[in-house]
Amino acid sequence: MKQTKRLTLCALLTAIALTIFVAEAQIPPVVPVPGMKLGLANIVTVYAMFALGPGDTLMILLCRIFLGSLFAGGSTFLYSLAGGLLCYLSMLLFRKILTEKQLWVCGAIGAIFHNLGQMGAAILIARTPQLVLYLPVLLITGVIAGAFTGLGAQLLLARLGRRIP
Amino acid sequence: MTLKKTLSNRFWLILLGVIVAGSALAAWLLLSRVPTGSIAAIYLDGELVERIDLAAVTESYTRTYTGKSGITDVVEVARGKIRVKEADCPDQVCVHQGWIETGVVPVVCLPNALVIQIEDGSAEPEIDGAVG
Amino acid sequence: MKRPLALSLAVLLLLSGCSSTEESTTIFAMDTVMTLTAYGSHAREGLSAAEAEINRLEKTLSVTREDSEVWAIDHSAGAPVTVGTDTAALLNAAAALGDRTGGALDVTLYPVVKAWGFTTGDYRIPDAEELADLLTRVDDHAVHMDGDTVTLPAGMELDFGALAKGYAGEQCASLLKEAGVTSAILNLGGNVQTVGAKPDGSPWRVAVQDPEGESEDYVGWLELTDEAAVTSGGYQRYFEENGVRYWHIIDPDTGAPARSGLLSATIVGKSGTACDGLSTGLFVLGPEKALDCWRQSDDFEAVLIGEDHTVQITAGLADRFTLREDSGYTLRIVEE
Repeated sequence: MKQTKRLTLCALLTAIALTIFVAEAQIPPVVPVPGMKLGLANIVTVYAMFALGPGDTLMILLCRIFLGSLFAGGSTFLYSLAGGLLCYLSMLLFRKILTEKQLWVCGAIGAIFHNLGQMGAAILIARTPQLVLYLPVLLITGVIAGAFTGLGAQLLLARLGRRIP
Repeated sequence: MTLKKTLSNRFWLILLGVIVAGSALAAWLLLSRVPTGSIAAIYLDGELVERIDLAAVTESYTRTYTGKSGITDVVEVARGKIRVKEADCPDQVCVHQGWIETGVVPVVCLPNALVIQIEDGSAEPEIDGAVG
Repeated sequence: MKRPLALSLAVLLLLSGCSSTEESTTIFAMDTVMTLTAYGSHAREGLSAAEAEINRLEKTLSVTREDSEVWAIDHSAGAPVTVGTDTAALLNAAAALGDRTGGALDVTLYPVVKAWGFTTGDYRIPDAEELADLLTRVDDHAVHMDGDTVTLPAGMELDFGALAKGYAGEQCASLLKEAGVTSAILNLGGNVQTVGAKPDGSPWRVAVQDPEGESEDYVGWLELTDEAAVTSGGYQRYFEENGVRYWHIIDPDTGAPARSGLLSATIVGKSGTACDGLSTGLFVLGPEKALDCWRQSDDFEAVLIGEDHTVQITAGLADRFTLREDSGYTLRIVEE
């Protein structure tokens, strides 16, 4: 694929992920648990990881987190970054042993590590170790939500196909 | 051609199922060991700043806390319960949580590094302050 | 639809809030957490005044802020500096307290405190030669005051860390009283200042921290009315090296942490400034000399917690201090 085409695709995906992220942030949280969310923007991240590869995915992810914190988040930049990076690393590790029919697994695993990273950062930076009491419920909802977003990415990949030449 | 080792869908389903079950178990354990105390401990920026005996509260009142972040939380203290009434943090998660009456989960205003946790309290004489 | 109901509820809540008389605010100043609580109809205005005063004093007295009077003095290279009432008052208090404690309280110790790393966190142990050299720059009698002008010899530095919070508490108490507040308790990073008694007339119960426990553990409590209580202890700030603890309360004679046999010294009295300065000075002096100082004074009482696990209280506190059961300490009341 030509460089410009690839770059345009990445930019598009970043814009989509950003839009989803900001839109999701507008929805008032149903449950008052810090850090609980659908994480729909990860559909893009999981899709990109399998369709484009780790390098482009990292770029898309970092841009989305940075711009997302500008548009939607207040003080959440560091926490989003920690969660996002840990999620990315976990997907980097696991993608080697997952098939294209198992993106839902990737989504679930990514969600687990996203929650761990985000909570870890929150506990360290804000010095609030009591947050760990929320971990069980965050993991349960995270796995379920992550599986669904991963499934979404899976269907997307099946429909659009790979883009690596 | 690299040989890609893959695991079956069933494997992943079981693994994730175990994680979910484990978390559920942890949650159940936490719920069953609810601290029976009525002392609300308030932490700001990681340090304990106040302890309030909720059982001894006769009339509701409010207290404000402003940490290093500059964000202000208005905490309402009532008999047997406590909550963040207002906050000028962006996400308002702490306000939406409402009242807590037991120590199962804390109320956390993350941007302000404020934590309210109800803890076990032994019968202590009512202390108004501490020097040290 | 629901708006009028919510609105009227809000108004009702507001009104009920007005009749509930406790007001409290927690702020971060002078590098520590401060909680101010006042009662009565003037509580809000009193607390606002107090908060403003604390911020103002921090600007004037901070040894690290480049726009403070203390900075100006410390960087004057021996030239005279004109100061305001607060700095002048603190210098006079420091001189008086220095004399009362035989020099154990010395506000010119800043170069030594810096050398040990307590200001930056890069802790180190200066050797004897360095300490001897540093001590040539320590001498609170070298601070010369003439009206509102201060002259500090070049090479010397002063800081009011041992007095600032006590002074702030004292000033805030005055402002609260001026605003019409008759009941308040202020906790300035561990320094306690009370105004009057509790709203129901009973004295304030103030716990004395256990030097060897966690921050919530206490050895007993004091009953205070319209006075201040300040504690100085090695446990408040220290570092460890090779199993030895080095704390931030320095003995001006040696330039090293004061090891006088005390774990902490708590002073109770009307003047927050005096309590703050005396707590540092008496910690350095040690139990015997501290009690001598007490016998020669009439404006404070003390709680001295020793390494031998005794809590010595001066006679004036006999019916105002209660030792906690199973605290692990023994109580001893010191008569005149």
